[in-house]
Amino acid sequence: MILVTGATGLVGGGVLARLLAADRNLRVAVLVRDLRRWVTAAARLGVATDRVLPVVGDLLRPGLGLDVATRARLQRELTAVVHAAADIVFSRPLDVARATNVEGTRRVVELAAACPEVRRLAFISTAFVAGRACGRIAERDNGADTGWVNAYEQSKYEAEQLVRAVGGACEWVIFRPAAIVCDAPAGQISQVNSVHLALRLLYHGLVPMIPGSDDAPIDVVTAEFVADAVARLALHPDVAGRVLHLCAGAGALPLRGLFDLTWRTWAADPAWRRKDIAQPVIADLDTYALFARSVEATADEPLKRAMRSLSHFVPQLAHAKRFDTTEAEAALGHAPPAVETFWTQMSTHLLTVRWPELRREEAA
Amino acid sequence: MTTPCIGGIAYAFPETSRSLGELAAAGQLESAPALLAEFGFERVHVAVAESPYALAHRAAERLLAEQKVDRESIDLLIYGGAPGTLALVPHAEAWDGTAAFRTTERFKYPATRLQYELGLQRAAVISLDQLACTTLFGAVRIARALCRTGEIERALCVAAEFFPSDAGRESLFNCTSDAAVALLVERSGSRNRIAAATHVTKGYYWDADAMRNEIVASYFPTSKHVIERVIAEAGWQSSDVAWLIPHNVSRRSWDILLSLVRLPRARLWADNIARRGHALAGDNFINLRDALEQGAVQPGDKVVLFSYGYGAHWTALAVEA
Repeated sequence: MILVTGATGLVGGGVLARLLAADRNLRVAVLVRDLRRWVTAAARLGVATDRVLPVVGDLLRPGLGLDVATRARLQRELTAVVHAAADIVFSRPLDVARATNVEGTRRVVELAAACPEVRRLAFISTAFVAGRACGRIAERDNGADTGWVNAYEQSKYEAEQLVRAVGGACEWVIFRPAAIVCDAPAGQISQVNSVHLALRLLYHGLVPMIPGSDDAPIDVVTAEFVADAVARLALHPDVAGRVLHLCAGAGALPLRGLFDLTWRTWAADPAWRRKDIAQPVIADLDTYALFARSVEATADEPLKRAMRSLSHFVPQLAHAKRFDTTEAEAALGHAPPAVETFWTQMSTHLLTVRWPELRREEAA
Repeated sequence: MTTPCIGGIAYAFPETSRSLGELAAAGQLESAPALLAEFGFERVHVAVAESPYALAHRAAERLLAEQKVDRESIDLLIYGGAPGTLALVPHAEAWDGTAAFRTTERFKYPATRLQYELGLQRAAVISLDQLACTTLFGAVRIARALCRTGEIERALCVAAEFFPSDAGRESLFNCTSDAAVALLVERSGSRNRIAAATHVTKGYYWDADAMRNEIVASYFPTSKHVIERVIAEAGWQSSDVAWLIPHNVSRRSWDILLSLVRLPRARLWADNIARRGHALAGDNFINLRDALEQGAVQPGDKVVLFSYGYGAHWTALAVEA
């Protein structure tokens, strides 16, 4: 039996569905906080629930909040763990991000170490554990010298260190996806995130400035690519002790090119084109910071909110980096999808649905 | 093709000026004086007894006298700024000026009065409106274009702008001054040759108060675009630009914009921001004259004048001093 955490999420759910589809004899335990939420997710995923054991627990609770009987069963039956659950909100304070992403991971690692038959711990991290590092980012522990842009990045980096130290007969593999912007190349979006929020602000002409440079690579991926890769490789013996970048790599688009493509896509809407909204200025980090201070001192609340919402991740764009994907490509046997193969479709989807998920979240 | 030039610049400010403290005490500021001081403002000029027309007349007379212009040689008068009857009454009575719109009084125009009183009988008259702080730039573009076609040799461009003396004196964290500015645009000449002129209008922002956030967000990207475009259209590199002659908006916004267009702070001629405030009538041209008189701008220097008309207009001139 395999334990999957985060199975109600975009990546974890996709991995679960693919693992079950690939092995008709596989049984999976899923760690869920809320059974009703799991039932909804299972229906959405279309998974064979007779092969899935929902286990009520919580990354935030000691021992994952598992009751004694459940823990004992998992210790007997588990052979691998895929840890995909995370708090992916960029604006969290460090202690809050750590509570889920570090302490939660610590509890998952402890469980894996306590299960004698567990041979593999697969961890879904993020490519942005590289933080403020610039240039080529190799598929290894890149250190922590440069620091991070937000608590999410830092907490995932710290979680990686716990995974590497799992020890015993359990081998680890770390997957580092880039930012996920859509489900698949067709562009549909089932989970909105900060990237979509930023795109909405751009669409409404409320982003005057972005830190970075015209040629800074913007590396984003589809959930399908990440879930496929994790499902294929999580249990594969060849990737033990490896870090794999699930990133566009050489297929990343330069920042200016990304804006050009987005503007061309949205210009298909005559009403939007007529507004003649300027692309944001791409500025150095000091100028961006000066502008952000001015907005904070002088602007109306909507513009302040817009700038604040961006401040948790757009400074990452000023730390231009190219994620090396050599190891991941070798393991997968193919290159990741280039950003231009799905960005237009994703932008079109946003244009079509007008960010309804975000509106629903705001209404709530 | 000939290269039209700005053959002379003159301006007129009202006699009264007020400090930030005085404006705050009179309830004419929205922001704290300390914040506006941080943005570079100290004083503004407030017309109390003068009408916009009186200021326009004074600026134009000064220009014609200084340049010893044969008034018969003026082919075109372009007037912009405070419109119609509002321009003809003293500032303190500005609200009464609106009553004239109900009658044929509305056809009393400052532009035609200026033509008559300045003795410019040969000059055709055009009036510009709705360009906010870019009115005088619009006038220069029209005059330049007509000069280049050979239709005119010389145009007098005059703008007068004001707020009623008891009105607010702050617009988007900028302190505003009443003033009038007069320019002579000539078909050719050796000074202040207009190498390029650029203007962008984005009508989407026409309802400026309702679109305030969008306007703030669009200001820097479009300003950068316009400045870079006028430099390119002049055939210059940004390193060629000796001075950027600003409209007198906050130093903070200029610091940001200078960084975006990669011009050092030292190339901004900012002496007038504190002592003059933002003169809507055309402070770039006031600044250009003062910078020339002070010797900061030297003959032959390549200078860029950039202004923004609140709402929808971005404009720039590339001028060889």
